[in-house]
Amino acid sequence: MIFGAGKGIFPKSTAKDAPPTLTRTSSGLNQFCSVLGAYQDLSILDMSGASQANISFVTGYGHRISSDDIIGTMGECFGKDLLEGQQAASNAQRFLDQSLTFPDNSFDGILVWDALQFLSSPLIEQAVAQLLRIMRSGGQMLVYFNSQEKAVRFPVYTYRIQDHRTVTQVARPGSTYQRSQYFNSRNLEQLFEHASSIKFFLTRDHLRELIIRK
Amino acid sequence: MWSKRTQDELPQRPEKPAGAPPASAVPSTEPPRRETNTMSSPSRVFDPEPISTRSTGPAALGKNVTIKGQIFAREDLTIDGEVEGTVECQEHRLTIGPNARVQAGLKAREIIIHGSIQGNVDATDKIDIKKEAKLVGDIKTSRIVIEDGAYFKGSIDISKAVVNKPAPQPAAAPQPAPQPAAAVPNAAAAVTAK
Repeated sequence: MIFGAGKGIFPKSTAKDAPPTLTRTSSGLNQFCSVLGAYQDLSILDMSGASQANISFVTGYGHRISSDDIIGTMGECFGKDLLEGQQAASNAQRFLDQSLTFPDNSFDGILVWDALQFLSSPLIEQAVAQLLRIMRSGGQMLVYFNSQEKAVRFPVYTYRIQDHRTVTQVARPGSTYQRSQYFNSRNLEQLFEHASSIKFFLTRDHLRELIIRK
Repeated sequence: MWSKRTQDELPQRPEKPAGAPPASAVPSTEPPRRETNTMSSPSRVFDPEPISTRSTGPAALGKNVTIKGQIFAREDLTIDGEVEGTVECQEHRLTIGPNARVQAGLKAREIIIHGSIQGNVDATDKIDIKKEAKLVGDIKTSRIVIEDGAYFKGSIDISKAVVNKPAPQPAAAPQPAPQPAAAVPNAAAAVTAK
């Protein structure tokens, strides 16, 4: 047995220079999954791209899952420098036309993960408005924000659910993006001011977890 | 193959034209041919199997083939070209090759995707999305396998295969609107109600 395996203490490296793959316990995911087990025939949107783990986990409850790779769409629309690319109005509009184009009230739950922190104002407010639009009343979404104040660039991860409170972060090869700003609690309350409630989860590894309820 | 064939199985020679002389009247320098069925003369062995039943592998549309319309297949089918329309291979396997560009709704027992698809995909048994695949559309299937690196945008509806169909039940009570469950006791959580 490897000590610390699966707990993120000694993360294993996927390649020589690649960011490590992390396994972490997520109280926010645990909260999100409590709904999955309590109801039937829910529609869940996973914005981390398609992965076998998430598909199997959600469909294992008997729910329907939709996949959309929002960071992949950012890369297509904004280029390598996300922050600079989204300053052009045409790029921003192209992003909004390609992402989150689902009908109103389509989903009971949305797994946003950490994608929003790479969007700057006013695009991030527009994206949040779209998320609230496509989510049904009473639905909830799980959002992560990095809580390191001084860090600027972050590796981009895909998030794979292992169980109801454990998620594995797999780094996308060669992708580190600049965060648009540091989001403190006040920023986040303002960002989600149109939601019915916001629940914060404090974590030990510089990741702020939120459950946003419509 | 070692059993002797009956006379009915032997090939029938074409009938002579009406004006042709009888065979006995034509002088011939060659000895009369004999139909044999031995290993020593394979070139003369008659293959009674019709062409349609010969095993030739799955049907395939090559990468330089473009089809617009409806495709119905009663055997396994591989598509490596361009298709626009619908493709149905009920009870069979459909393989979308790496060069394929498909804008169509697909229905089959099993679908394996290497190429690019824009359209809804319905597999009664299984869908296998390989790492180089790109699929934009909704999926309905019993089982799904998706490799890392595959691009997928759409919804997945898992329909469990029904073995024994139960008797129809009265309509179930309507589902309650999805509401988050009660907050999990967690000392680190704080709620901001609006």
